[in-house]
Amino acid sequence: MSRTVKWALFGGMVVYLAIPIIAALLYSFSGRWTSHMLPDYYTLDHWRGALNDQRLLMALWRSTWMALAVLVLDILIVVPAVYWQRVHNPRIRPLTELSAAIPFVLPFVVIAFGILKITGAAAPQLLGTPWIIWLGHAAVAFPFLYWAVDGAMAAANVVRLNEAASVCGASPVQTLRYVVLPNIGAGLAAGGMLVFATSFGEFAIVQILVGARFENVSLYSLSLLAQTTSEAEKLAVLTIITFVILFAVSVGVVYANRGRLGAVVAGGGLMVRDRDNE
Amino acid sequence: MSSVSVEQVSKRYGSGAGSVLALDDVSLHVPSGELVALLGPSGCGKTTLLRCIAGLESPDAGAVNIGGEDVTHHPPRHRSIGMVFQSYVLFPNMTLRQNIGFPLMVRKESRTAIDTRVEELVELVGLTEQADRYPHQVSGGQQQRGALARALAPDPDVLLLDEPLSALDALVRVRLRDEIRRIQQLVRTTAFYVTHDQAEAMAIADRVAVMNKGRVEQLDQPPQIYDAPATRFSAGFVGNRNALEVAPHAGRVRVGELFDIPVPAPGAGPVIAFFRPEDVVVMKNGLGEAMLVEQRMFQGQMSRLSLQGEIEGQPVRFYADLPTREVVNVTPGEQLRVSVRAEHVRAFPAEG
Repeated sequence: MSRTVKWALFGGMVVYLAIPIIAALLYSFSGRWTSHMLPDYYTLDHWRGALNDQRLLMALWRSTWMALAVLVLDILIVVPAVYWQRVHNPRIRPLTELSAAIPFVLPFVVIAFGILKITGAAAPQLLGTPWIIWLGHAAVAFPFLYWAVDGAMAAANVVRLNEAASVCGASPVQTLRYVVLPNIGAGLAAGGMLVFATSFGEFAIVQILVGARFENVSLYSLSLLAQTTSEAEKLAVLTIITFVILFAVSVGVVYANRGRLGAVVAGGGLMVRDRDNE
Repeated sequence: MSSVSVEQVSKRYGSGAGSVLALDDVSLHVPSGELVALLGPSGCGKTTLLRCIAGLESPDAGAVNIGGEDVTHHPPRHRSIGMVFQSYVLFPNMTLRQNIGFPLMVRKESRTAIDTRVEELVELVGLTEQADRYPHQVSGGQQQRGALARALAPDPDVLLLDEPLSALDALVRVRLRDEIRRIQQLVRTTAFYVTHDQAEAMAIADRVAVMNKGRVEQLDQPPQIYDAPATRFSAGFVGNRNALEVAPHAGRVRVGELFDIPVPAPGAGPVIAFFRPEDVVVMKNGLGEAMLVEQRMFQGQMSRLSLQGEIEGQPVRFYADLPTREVVNVTPGEQLRVSVRAEHVRAFPAEG
């Protein structure tokens, strides 16, 4: 491929990804936008209105803390489980892989109804509470963390690290805390970001299991669209805010991982090195 | 410092037809402070034995005792051991200093106690300048020094080394080998050293256990292993010996004019006779067998000749290591009359 083709492809990709964001940004500042390529004039009214809208702020707040709570739950479940599977029970791997594939295969609507049925039979008191969303989101978002953490553990060669730690006298908890966790940071951050994003913008499970009693960003957006006096510009504001939050999380992840990836790849001596300058 | 005894340990990997008997009723007693090399080809069970002593594998049968205590069912962290792996396996998130201090940190020792001990070890293994670097910032040899120091940090009763030098290049290998021996002598810990390199085993060990197919074939001091192999496998594995299959005749094992020795054991079956290349001598008195020189390989003080001939209708081929000065004028294609020092020929029944 010539340089020109490469740059053209890259440029096309950037435009393709950037145009929706730019359009939403312009729209959120636009006064009237009817007959021209660009808005007729610009205003801060929509932003002012949105940031003073308690309902919108509450929706953002709910989405944020729910996504964080889901992330924490998934980390607490997935990391020890993958560690145990890799180190002590490799035979269970086909099962864990299967369970981590289900949320990708089944539509969330189907999963939501499944959860509804089971919860209705087993623990009806959970229905309509944020708890059920917490559990539901954790269940559908965990595969992102699973695959990322699994890959990171393979790259860090946790089986060997675990053996080294155990002959050093470390207990499984100490091994997890001092040896495994610090060496899977990259995977943890990348997978964690996807879990956060999945829960943050999730619609089907919230709508079916709890509905308007837990209005998150997605539900709020839908209700804005459904109103006859459509406040679509406010929706643009919400889109931009959501984008900025997720973008900030990603940048944070990349920043937290600077240099880490290199250390994981170099394996700290897990690989045979050809450099030997003794 | 403790003695280690392995009693009738067996270990099988897998089940059914595809299973492998990695350890077959192995017993071994190693007194306190001794360094034993476990020597054998890959798949002989040497690493499995080491891992059973470490507690990284649990034997199917038998017992492992460290310092008189039965530790067969103890996890590694409840055994007084230190282990060095072939691929070092330092923790990449810690500096060498933190790696060395790790066994003490998990034992909840005081900050000052850890610092003092780590400093001592850093000096012992010669890492003073690299101690605050991360593993990926130092060479393989330095990583392995770090791993050795980490293994020694809690002052373990037993030091286990799993092919610690195989990932290093030749020069570093020899230097570090000698250093491991020096340090082991200094701290006087009981040690097991797994290797497939006979020169390494001979150089470092008080005793060598030659292993094959999950069994210890011979356990003896290096000179005995080298001079008096007890089994056919030891003879073939140690000393780069030539092997000739011979049918005994009238109670004698004879190959033309090369050598003539009594049969090893009663029985009429064919035997395999082993002799080392350096036990071949050039005959200047017209005796011996005439052999054709195929190749000459210069090895410094000695030269290795590849010899070929026909003795009593049988094709025969073997190596001879001769002083270079003696064979400086010998060129490939020439005939050379040779015989073998009969006292160094070892014969074993060919069956089994």
